Order: sequence, then structure tokens, then C-alpha cells
Amino acid sequence: MSKISAEIIQKIEQLNRDYICALDALDMPTWLACFNKRGQYTFIAEENYRRNLPIAFMLDDCYERLQDRVTQVVDIQSDSTEHYQTRHFTQLTSVTAPEDGGYRAEFNFSVYYTRRDTNQTQLLCVGRYFDLIDISNACASYIDRKVVTDTNVLPRYIAYPV
Amino acid sequence: MANQRNDEPLLIWPKKYNEVPKAVFEMEELWPKELNAIFYGEEWHPIVHHAEIPNPGDYKAAELGEMPIFAVHGEDGEIRVFQNTCTHRGTALITECSGNKKEFECPYHRWLFSPQGELVGCPNSQEFTADFDKKDFSLHQLRSEEFCGLHWVTMSDKTPPLKDYLGESFYEPLGRILGGDGRLKLIGYQKIMYNCNWKAYCDNDGYHAPLLHKAFALLNWQGGKGFQKVTENGHLAFESEIKVPDKVEALKDASVLDFKGTDTSSGSIVLMSFPLTVFSKHMDMLNVRYAFPRGPKGTEVHYAYFTHEDDDDEMIRHRIRQSSNLLGPCGLVSMEDASVFSRIDKGNKTPGNAIFQKGVEDEYKLSFTVKQNDESGNLPRWEHYRKIMGFEREK
Ligand code: FES
Ligand SMILES: [Fe+2]
Repeated sequence: MSKISAEIIQKIEQLNRDYICALDALDMPTWLACFNKRGQYTFIAEENYRRNLPIAFMLDDCYERLQDRVTQVVDIQSDSTEHYQTRHFTQLTSVTAPEDGGYRAEFNFSVYYTRRDTNQTQLLCVGRYFDLIDISNACASYIDRKVVTDTNVLPRYIAYPV
Repeated sequence: MANQRNDEPLLIWPKKYNEVPKAVFEMEELWPKELNAIFYGEEWHPIVHHAEIPNPGDYKAAELGEMPIFAVHGEDGEIRVFQNTCTHRGTALITECSGNKKEFECPYHRWLFSPQGELVGCPNSQEFTADFDKKDFSLHQLRSEEFCGLHWVTMSDKTPPLKDYLGESFYEPLGRILGGDGRLKLIGYQKIMYNCNWKAYCDNDGYHAPLLHKAFALLNWQGGKGFQKVTENGHLAFESEIKVPDKVEALKDASVLDFKGTDTSSGSIVLMSFPLTVFSKHMDMLNVRYAFPRGPKGTEVHYAYFTHEDDDDEMIRHRIRQSSNLLGPCGLVSMEDASVFSRIDKGNKTPGNAIFQKGVEDEYKLSFTVKQNDESGNLPRWEHYRKIMGFEREK
């Protein structure tokens, strides 16, 4: 990470903080605002990722799909989901120099969830974020965030992006 | 606490055919009996499609009831299913859920098996029993049959041949889900644990779809014409027309809902084979849902998705987008099912019976005539379950 300036790393960390705080607050418009107009989001099992199998749990391969993801969470599934509170924990593990017009970053993540009925807390999933980040403007944004979950068998259905 | 008397039945079944005791989802004592009567009994269970293990040496691990098994693509091109146990002292041979091996070595005493299951090496065998013969120590192979590339197993010699077991009303649409000729390619899995007894998972019905699934109305999916067929041994087949609306106001990118297939009149096929496997071809998604009860609590489901070998790049891309976003455990159309599974589990910890209404004409008679959106199609399955579990109806 040595060649990357502290300012760049700070922007990457800030973007990630905005992202995970938006999800923990279930603030979907703010989640969407973390992506730029070229943005893509994928939530995929490590098993598929490793074996080059493209099926994902969520696959938003253009900005319109990201907008529809917000619609799905906010309007479509809100009355039948058993809501849960998440807490995302992340750790930046690598940043590499610009390519494809952006910086590559990797984070480890773990997400805990607390059920509203039992109020018990369990692990939802653990894995890595693979990011391509645009830092050309004042604030950074995702060109691509790929969420690869080591938890190949999800412990419950996942209603919100991770 | 008094012990249950031996001659006391675990469960008395209600008199009416449209009632199911809620306790059936909750009583843990039923599980050992279900293992013997159903999972190790006279039923067929799909384990693997050829497309999941297309090359010699490819293998996939699974479970039948509580028994670990694995399917291997042999050097001779045949797919066989074995118990996942070394024939020496029983060590599990496979510890990964899939992979490729030229040979299967047990680490304990280094017995070596071929992908065809033969024992090909065992150190120091000159000191074994006098009549020891490698041929007697091949891996334990399960009885299996194949249909359109899908391999099924059964633990019983008495189970009827697969096609007789499924019946034409089931295997004919199944063939269409499997691409017509079984020439499929695997594009990946979605795996999830549902927090419910396996019987709640497979009790999903024809009544709920337009009511539970909010996306149906929002996406302007009008109920197309369709039908539901049931067999006496509890298999269910739904087939219906897909009416793709011209414009979907709710979505910015409705291309994910496109139907690129040729025949809208059977745009949706959903099949459920007893005891708990679902197969579907909804729009352009080709999907097999392998399901594994984790004891009496919890059902693990592996959604496997496929493309057809003849698909062009555009169709492949479309199937990947649709399959990843619509029908799985996080899917736009189906996530509510998952929610209902765990709510059924919670709500059924109450006394009494679950009562079916939609499509029931005579509560005292089992009917095999069901309409597309009836829930009564599940009743032959319950009757089959009751009979093989040996529960008497209330007098
Ligand atoms: S248990 Fe497998 S070689 Fe002995
Ligand atoms: Fe459903």
C-alpha cells in the first residue's frame, strides 16, 4: 500500500464508511449514492466466484439495476420481510495503483444481524469486498463493488445488500 | 414426566382430508421415522445433473437423509453415486462439496479407489484375512437412474423404475425444464438454510403466488392460463402461460424480466417431486432446487442454475441476470416465500390443525382434480406422507 497517498486511502475508507453506515441505517438512497453512473454491484458466493460460475445472489450490472435494488427493498418487499438490524465490520486489506481509471481496494467484512422477534444476534456472512473506485471528483464513488461471501450457505434469506 | 407408552401412536391424523396437524412440522420424534420411511425408503431423490460434473473425475458431495454420499463422473463416462465412506473402517472419502480427482484415497490407511469405485490399492494386504479379495471392497454404490442428464438415487430395491415413479404428467415437463435433451451447462448455485421443517418448505402452494408475491402485481404480471397436475404419490406439476407486460412502470431496467424463449403458453413450469425437490423453468431460468433436511429443524436448499448448450452469448447473459435476481433466496419475485417458511415454523408451534380451503370441494374425499391456483394440490402429497408414515386417521 506504500505508494498510495494517505489522502487517497482516507477517501477510500470514507466511501466504505458511508456505504456500511447507510446499510446499517437501511438508508437505501445513501447506499445508492455511493455508486457513480457506471456503478455495478454484485453479491456472490465464494464457491461460484472461485469456480468462475457467474450466478450471484444479487447482480446489479448497471445503474438502473442499482436503482431497482432500492425500489425492491423500499417498496416491493417491505411488508413481507422479517426485518433485521445489521452491523457491518470491515477492514481495509489492500489498495493498488490506478487502473481502468480507478483504484482497486479490498476489504474483509463480517456482518452480524439482530432479529427483531428474538432480539438475538448471529453472524449473517463473512467475506471480502473487491472494489473499483473512482476518485477523480471531490468525493470517491464505486464503479464496481463485488461482495464475495465465504459463507456459501446463507443462514437465512438476505433482504438487503451487504 | 411420563414416558410415552410404546403402543401410543406418535400422531393421530385428522378425519378431514384438508386438515394437517400442525404438530407434524414441530415434533422432533418424527425425524428418525421419516428417515426410514421416506429418505431411506421407496422414493427417488435427484442428486446431480451431468452438467455439474461434466468431466471424468469430477465429483459432487450430497446427503441422502443423514447419509453422506457423492456422485462421481467415471473414466468410462458413467456417473455413479456412492456412500461417502471408505470400505475399510468407514472414514469419509470426500471432504469438499465438489472437485476433481483421478483417484480417491482414504488418508487413514491409504486404501485407494478409482472414480469407478473399485478398490485398486490397500497397503500390507498380504497380512489381511485369508479370503480377502479387493473385489469385495468396492465403494458402496447406490441404485441410480438418469433422466435428461439428471441422476436420481434410491435406497430401496422395491422403488419402481424412475419414469413409472414420476409419471408422465411429471417427467414430460421435467424434460422441458432440463432443456428438452439434458444438454445443459451449469452457471452456478445459490445456497441457503431455511429456518423451517422440510415439510413446511415443500408445502408451498398454487394459491399464494399472486397474493403473497407483491412483485406480481407491481410488475403487472397478469395470471395467464394454466393448470396443475398431481400424482397419487405426491408429485405436483404446475404449468402456466407467461404474459409479459409491454411496460413495467415500477422498474428502471425491466430487461431482467424479458422472456426470450419461444413459447409463452408454457412460460412457467414449476414441479415438486416427493419428498422435497423443486424444479422450475420460469421465463428463461432453468433451475433445480436440491433440498436437504438438516434434521427436524432447518432445510438447506441448493438452487442450481443452468444454460443450454445451444444458447448464444446474449441468451447466456440474460439467463445469468434473470437467475441471479428473480427467483432465488434474495430474488425480487420470490423472497417472500423464504419469509413465509420461517413464519410457518413459528406459527405452527400452536395447537390444532392447518386447514386447506382453496379448491377443496369435499373435506372427506381426496380429489386429484385441481385448478391452477388451488392449494388442494398439496393434499395428495400429505395423504402419501400419512400413509407411508403409518398414521391412522381419527375415527
Ligand atoms: S479407514 Fe480408510 S483406509 Fe482404513
Ligand atoms: Fe411463492
